[in-house]
Amino acid sequence: MTLRRAIAVAALAGIAVAAYLTVVHYTHTSPICTTGGCEKVQHSSYAKLAGVPVALLGLVAYIAVFCTTLVRGVGAALVGVVLALSGAAFSAYLLWAQLARIDAICQWCLANDAIIAIVAVLCVARLLREP
Amino acid sequence: MLSGVNRNRLLLLAGAVGAAALVVVVLILIGAGSDSKSENTVSTASAAAPPKKPFLAGVPQHGATLGAADAPATLTVYEDPQCPFCRDWALGTLPSVVRDYVRPGRLKLVYQGVQIIGPNSQAGLRAIYAAGRQNKLWNVADALYRRQGAENSGWITGPVISEAAASAGANGAAIRAAAPTAGVTAQLIAAARQASVDRVQGTPTFILQRPPSLPQQLNVTALDPATFESALAAALQ
Repeated sequence: MTLRRAIAVAALAGIAVAAYLTVVHYTHTSPICTTGGCEKVQHSSYAKLAGVPVALLGLVAYIAVFCTTLVRGVGAALVGVVLALSGAAFSAYLLWAQLARIDAICQWCLANDAIIAIVAVLCVARLLREP
Repeated sequence: MLSGVNRNRLLLLAGAVGAAALVVVVLILIGAGSDSKSENTVSTASAAAPPKKPFLAGVPQHGATLGAADAPATLTVYEDPQCPFCRDWALGTLPSVVRDYVRPGRLKLVYQGVQIIGPNSQAGLRAIYAAGRQNKLWNVADALYRRQGAENSGWITGPVISEAAASAGANGAAIRAAAPTAGVTAQLIAAARQASVDRVQGTPTFILQRPPSLPQQLNVTALDPATFESALAAALQ
């Protein structure tokens, strides 16, 4: 599997998670949760950025990362790296918020953290190896 | 590992790391800015410009109940004073519900305070239930929402409670005296037990009861006045 395909697959997984959380946000339903803190996290002030759900921002970012895999070249790889590293760093900030400020853990956020970390590593590798 | 990597790519990667760091700093600042902006707006609205005609004025209150005791339907509202969605509902939608349903005697509201966000919620809940002894529970809950800070930042302090009590027209000293009592503790325990029975997973949660029907959770897709009242009207039909 090429790096571009691997990134595309990981980005699709991220799209699925972010899309689910976006739907949960806009339908005001409770997310499926085994950690017991998902709703608390989703209803916290950290779930929105300037009025926009963070899940929606993540969805847009994952779609953008996916689109970069449809294009060959260093330019697309560079855009993918910036998006993925931004997403990974912001996810780390939100993980800190869950632990230190909200005092709850959301399993969907943890899933997203794992996915964005994988996407970031793959995107960096792609940038370094892209012909 | 990096020996075979083009030096230009490493420079690009370094640039990408810098750009990503900049993006994240901007995002965090935007988040912090919108938080403090909303807090300041709310605080200013309460402290400097109290409503000309308080929406709770003249509405009967008894303990945790708001509205006429013989209202044909009861809406139990599970709230946490630290919950930002509860604040949105309480400050944005509750006045409309009071005007359209509670004041005409079509509905009464029952406050159920539960600790969802964190330990600091306890201080607020105790003050709110203590205010119920003065039949000012809903006023103090409203006043605390107007001073709401970030979750678990420790914003529910003695001075904040005193200020909220004063702006709500309640006796702050009596609230501080009643807050730690066993009676208030019993109310908190009862609310937590009822939340378990009602399968409350988050706040705000609304349970509508219209005898002889069994209590049922009000299904709301959004907390704005139009959407909420639409769902309430449908459930009351």
